[in-house]
Amino acid sequence: MSEKILQINHLSKSFGSNKVLRDIDFSVYQGDVISIIGASGSGKSTLLRCINLLETPSSGEILYHGRNVLKRGTNPAEYRSHVGMVFQSFNLFNNMTVLENCVVGQVRVLGRDRETARQHAMEYLEKVGMAPYIQARPRQISGGQKQRVAIARAMAMDPEVLLFDEPTSALDPEMVGEVLNVMRRLAGSGMTMLVVTHEMAFARDVSKRVVYMSGGVICEQGSPQELFGNPQKKETVDFLSRFRG
Amino acid sequence: MGKLAQLGLDIAKLWSKYSGSYFSGMKNTLVLALIGTLIGCLIGFVCGVLNTIPYSKSDHPVKRFVLKLIRVIIRVYVEVFRGTPMVLQAVFLFYGLPYFSDNAMRFSSVWAAAIVVVSINTGAYMAESVRGGIISVDPGQTEGAMAIGMTHVQTMTSVILPQALRNIMPQIGNNFIINVKDTSVMFIIGFPDFFAAHRAAVGASYLYFPSATVEMVGYLSMTLIASFLLRWMEKKMDGSSSYELVQTDQLTMTAGTYRHPDDGTPFDERSLEYVESGKEER
Repeated sequence: MSEKILQINHLSKSFGSNKVLRDIDFSVYQGDVISIIGASGSGKSTLLRCINLLETPSSGEILYHGRNVLKRGTNPAEYRSHVGMVFQSFNLFNNMTVLENCVVGQVRVLGRDRETARQHAMEYLEKVGMAPYIQARPRQISGGQKQRVAIARAMAMDPEVLLFDEPTSALDPEMVGEVLNVMRRLAGSGMTMLVVTHEMAFARDVSKRVVYMSGGVICEQGSPQELFGNPQKKETVDFLSRFRG
Repeated sequence: MGKLAQLGLDIAKLWSKYSGSYFSGMKNTLVLALIGTLIGCLIGFVCGVLNTIPYSKSDHPVKRFVLKLIRVIIRVYVEVFRGTPMVLQAVFLFYGLPYFSDNAMRFSSVWAAAIVVVSINTGAYMAESVRGGIISVDPGQTEGAMAIGMTHVQTMTSVILPQALRNIMPQIGNNFIINVKDTSVMFIIGFPDFFAAHRAAVGASYLYFPSATVEMVGYLSMTLIASFLLRWMEKKMDGSSSYELVQTDQLTMTAGTYRHPDDGTPFDERSLEYVESGKEER
């Protein structure tokens, strides 16, 4: 068994009286590619944001290599530098070029010198096919290109696990493929990934494990073959039938 | 027509005698407005940044108390200096200090007093502008910065403040232009600005209206040049509207323009249904 990176125990999150996550238990191992699927409002994105501490969970614990990051005294910024995140709305820094976007975190957070950071950033920008655009600003490139830069920016920090929050939902249909391709290659290279997605083909073909969430709980999880081929719960069957059409 | 000719003559008379004092007045006005605006912006940025330090219920009570106290102090500062006329602030500071300290404390020069008053006044306006500028930056920018492990300070200095500065450039320009005009009240403490030159000129020549015309034209030229320069600076900050490609992008699939390199390989992302329905057409 490979090393366990994250373990989530009894995680709950409420916004006011609205319970978005209820008692989630969940583990991520080195090299896992996990797709989280489910209807809108089922808590998928909130779970991902809780894992990255962008939301503070109401209760429960998140163990990163056995250390609870929700305990007072842990440094959330330091923890986040090991857990990359790619957003639905890209969130590239608008005041920087493509290259600066991928360099600034390495320099300011990891303390790398500018030249090393630049070379490292170029390596990933080449992998996502954005090397030609290093001088462009985010407003000058398309959504698919922005998302590829966002992936390179996250990867340049050498994270242990990369979280994707609906990375293709804000894209025009013809740009979805270029982003999914990059993610596919990343998964193939052994990167540990947690992907909230509505792309069932990606979940089926690329992930090692699929988690179906509904109503703030993990309803069912298993290998793609198990979950797509032989779903056990009625909710899962209903949800999947809507995608088969 | 005769009146206009008369005005021209009077202005010429004034100009031949007082052009030196008009020019040095203009220079002093611009220098005071510029320094006052710059220091005011600095004050505004400090206040705006202190005002937007986030705190949550889970933070230490001392931290929460200090942050709340800072917000209250800034609020009082803004309300007092935004809510009173600059001319009175100048009088209060320039004559109030020696009054209360029995002449032990006083401004050694009107320049220092004028700069302090204009800066504090501008700072009060800028504090709110900067707060607005920071709030108006997309929260996604903060999340993006936090997600790569930046602290609040790093997020602010690298990501938020540069964008906030761009957002509030029009406000800074506004304040500078207001300062060019409003420093005219500084004659009250004897500051030798452009308006003081007018008072000196008419005191000796009694040519009130011609001198006022010179002032009008002078102030308008200064503010017009200032607006022009500010627009130019804004453009400059936006950076080039084009960029150079270092080579071609292999991954962009522009629909229908060319075959994607992954076509037919296991990396082909299109769903099977779509490929099948499209087969007949090829």
